[in-house]
Amino acid sequence: MKALEIAQITFSYNQKADNSASGGDEYALRDFSMSVEGGEIHALLGPNGAGKTTLMRLITGQLRGYRGRIFIDGNKNDDRDALMSLGYAPQPVSVFISLTALENLRVFGVMAGLSHDNLKERSHAVLEETGLLPYAKKRASTYSGGMLRRLNLAVALLHSPSLLLLDEPTVGVDPQSRHNIYETLKKMNSAGVTIVLCTHIMDEAQRLCSRVTMLDRGSVIFSGNMNEVGNLEKFFLERTGRGLRDD
Amino acid sequence: MFRKLIELIRKEMLILLRERQTIPVLFIMPVALIFFLSLALQGAYQDKLTGRQVLLIIENAAHTPKANLLESKLSVNKMIQRVDRPRDMDNDRIFEDGRAQTLVIIPKGFDEGKKPVELYFNPAMDFGYKIAVRSLITSLTVEVVMGIDNLENVVANFIIEKTKPNKMIPGPLQHTVPAYAIFAMFFIAIPMSIGFLREKNDGTLQRLFTYPIGSNLVILGKLIPYYLINLIQFALMFIVGIYIMPLFIKFPFSLGAHPWHLIPITLVVAAASTGFGLLVAALARAPEQSSALAATGIILMAVSGGIMVPHVIMPFAMKKLAMISPMFWAHQAYLDVFVRDANFSMILPKLTILTIFSLICLYIAGRKVKWM
Repeated sequence: MKALEIAQITFSYNQKADNSASGGDEYALRDFSMSVEGGEIHALLGPNGAGKTTLMRLITGQLRGYRGRIFIDGNKNDDRDALMSLGYAPQPVSVFISLTALENLRVFGVMAGLSHDNLKERSHAVLEETGLLPYAKKRASTYSGGMLRRLNLAVALLHSPSLLLLDEPTVGVDPQSRHNIYETLKKMNSAGVTIVLCTHIMDEAQRLCSRVTMLDRGSVIFSGNMNEVGNLEKFFLERTGRGLRDD
Repeated sequence: MFRKLIELIRKEMLILLRERQTIPVLFIMPVALIFFLSLALQGAYQDKLTGRQVLLIIENAAHTPKANLLESKLSVNKMIQRVDRPRDMDNDRIFEDGRAQTLVIIPKGFDEGKKPVELYFNPAMDFGYKIAVRSLITSLTVEVVMGIDNLENVVANFIIEKTKPNKMIPGPLQHTVPAYAIFAMFFIAIPMSIGFLREKNDGTLQRLFTYPIGSNLVILGKLIPYYLINLIQFALMFIVGIYIMPLFIKFPFSLGAHPWHLIPITLVVAAASTGFGLLVAALARAPEQSSALAATGIILMAVSGGIMVPHVIMPFAMKKLAMISPMFWAHQAYLDVFVRDANFSMILPKLTILTIFSLICLYIAGRKVKWM
């Protein structure tokens, strides 16, 4: 069964009522399709501005007003309960820094509808998994960059999702924290969790992922098995070009 | 759903109370303002409400029957507080040091009508008081010279005062307690908008929407904590006004005939201030911008709305201009209760205006904010 299926998504931030973009080539995503099989780690790659984060936000229901269909475990994503199969770690560290790790987990756990006992048990488990258990009662504002990234991931893992969406989960962290995150992801995947990994670190994608979808300027430019591409970085540059993407 | 709402409120409260600026800005600042401004305004209100005794030096050089009678009539008058001339002080120094505001000299030859009573006023004396004291001394001199026992009795058939009891001018506490409670309640806009924008910019607000919760629940979870804090603020200011300030200030804090009207007023004022906070959050892009925007808005509303400068002493044009400030309507509603013993129908239009203000703020914020 497909853990995630995206069919012909078109989206613009300047959407008009008639569903057309307001002018020019301003589509963030255009006729974008991809599918992710259950149990795989799938890399989502693309240069800056390719539409990766927009796609993540569409899948997680943060953005609406798109054309096309998104299914999570066979359920349409506008059914908000379908979102419960999904764990999302956004690219900015999105935790409440005035709260402790435990308090953060409590907020997001209650939002996910976890019972009191389950929340307690899962909080302990994810904090242990991410190496934050000794710091559980310290405020996130006192955490290092790596610890905040791990807390960001812990929140995504809390409600035991079957599909994990990770938007650049290792950006700005030291090798130790990165290693911890990789190990956690491998462990989750071994337990049957499907992972969509959005990253700019080609080595990371090649090491962890079995399949890859590349997108550029809102459209798919490649989709296939990781072993088809050879050197991923070289392949990526060949497909997307070597020019800077500052526009 | 209820559990989620409670958790959102709990989260917001924790974040708010852990901010360093929250307690000073929302609680300590308004209590300090009430304390110092009530004391500072005490004199001004005393002049308006009860009148003040004028410090007066009488020098009787004649010591004749009429001169002595005038001296005694002046000395016992309620408007006068007789003081002695300090040693080695000339008139200018006496006035400069505030030892007296008026000096009356009854010269030799007064009884015979050869020399008039001499009056010296402090040149900086309030003009109204000067007229009143001069008029008093004139009346008493006429009584003495004409041999009339009490001039007021003589004119009683011609002049009668029918002034109604004061229902316009509040006492210093009646002004400052609601004024700075309102001021503090609107200051909630600063932490509220900062917190909102911080969550929007760091993505935590968007992250909440990746869970099965509606935007209304998230908005309620943001508004309710600040609304509750507003109510706590008012209760605190009220307690300070009733129980603590009378220890330092002579005026009692009268609550009026219908103190329970304070409940609907406070509920509506809290809605207006939280609505304003949400509006600021919607208009600003960064937390720094929101605090500048909120502080400027609050101070302008306070200055124009009769919070910092009492509405009763404003000139006519300013009194009209004050009506654009929601703080004016809030303050007047409280004064309706404290000073005017107003019934609810008199307060209702003010509450309606504040409710409309609140709804407009919420509407604009709702249109402007991209919640997700």
